[in-house]
Amino acid sequence: MESLGQFEQIVLTAILALDDNAYGVTIHAKVEELSHPKKIARGAVYATLDRMEDKALISSWLSEPTRERGGRSRRHYRLEKSGEKALKESARTAQRLIETITRSLGGLAWKPR
Amino acid sequence: MEAALSGPPEWLERMVLFAIPPAAREGVAGDLWETYQNPGQYAVEALQTVPFVVWSQIRRNLNLPALILQSALIFLCFGGPVTLMALPLLMLREAYRPVTRPSPRRAIREAILLSCGAMVLLLLIMSVHSPFHVRAGVDSFTWLSLFLAALFLSPFLCLFRAGLIMQGDRSRTLTAGGLPKDALAGAYHNFQQRAFCSNLLESMALVFAAACGFFFAWDALLVALFIIVALCLMLDSVPRFSQACDFTSLRARYQQELARQGQLRRFLHWLWFAPVLVALHDRLTLGESIAALLNCVAAAILCFLVAALNREHGGRVQEQIGLLDRMRETSPPDRA
Repeated sequence: MESLGQFEQIVLTAILALDDNAYGVTIHAKVEELSHPKKIARGAVYATLDRMEDKALISSWLSEPTRERGGRSRRHYRLEKSGEKALKESARTAQRLIETITRSLGGLAWKPR
Repeated sequence: MEAALSGPPEWLERMVLFAIPPAAREGVAGDLWETYQNPGQYAVEALQTVPFVVWSQIRRNLNLPALILQSALIFLCFGGPVTLMALPLLMLREAYRPVTRPSPRRAIREAILLSCGAMVLLLLIMSVHSPFHVRAGVDSFTWLSLFLAALFLSPFLCLFRAGLIMQGDRSRTLTAGGLPKDALAGAYHNFQQRAFCSNLLESMALVFAAACGFFFAWDALLVALFIIVALCLMLDSVPRFSQACDFTSLRARYQQELARQGQLRRFLHWLWFAPVLVALHDRLTLGESIAALLNCVAAAILCFLVAALNREHGGRVQEQIGLLDRMRETSPPDRA
């Protein structure tokens, strides 16, 4: 199965959270929110989206052109089955990491923010 | 997201549009417009975004086998420094590949320009070396035949381009608008079948060409390349039928397969012409300056033909990918 890098996990999570409203601007905003306080270049998001589309983790299509975009279409993104699977696997790994760190740092004394 | 009240100045937008690779232009330019605040912010945002997009498009469109083959041919003809200079240009060209087929007017203009160039070159050579004197194996009859050939080159190239355009129009399989899922699955299935057949036939043709090349004492490297590519093509030509999936996933798979087959075809077009280009190069190193120049013209015309083939075919693939991008799922027609 495809293993994801950290940034890919964030972008996939953003697409998952945005559901039907996942396109360049909203995905970038969500990614910035998820990786706060780190600033993320929008170009990096586009490059990652392209890469994940080539890996068939996500798929994209163009919407109808709109006036607020100067008569241009939005490229919408959606998670594919393989993307969902890879994201779930990453979440399980993250869960195991959190549990191990929590145990090692003394139970409830440490909490991931 | 809040709607932007006004857009960027036209000149600035044009510059940004020019810099964004065509395949990503619609989405990226629209996103930049949507977040527009002032010209400065727009320019900075574009400057930060475009390099990533260009790099991503290079990565996506890069046809490594074709690039290696092109670089090898350039290296063979012009040597290392020119190859090093040409490589980044070839890579950039991948990023800025057009998403539509060239317009018929542009295609015909290119053909006429090339044949005019060939004729001007011939006239120049003839004015320097009088055709009425036999010089180093090029007699007046040869000069005359070459000049007549150049004269007929223009209509030939125009006919070639027109043929490619008409063939492209005829082989259009998708139409804009909506399609039921079953119809899309049918179109995808047909496309895979056609690709399977043509790949199988082409792999057999490559084996045959390699066998001929063996007898006609081609370069051993070329014969080996033909056989390796034929084997890879045979292994690759097994159709991959899609499992049950929804419209969006099916569309994505169709687009990926279209792009993959398009890349394969681009490499094969160059591969088929490689032996002729190598032969021309061999003649370049043998002959004297006039013959060398004539061989250069022949090589340029050949490269033009391959590039024209690739532009038409690549444009058609991109056009189909674009149509799929905007395609909506419709319900199947009622049979009752």
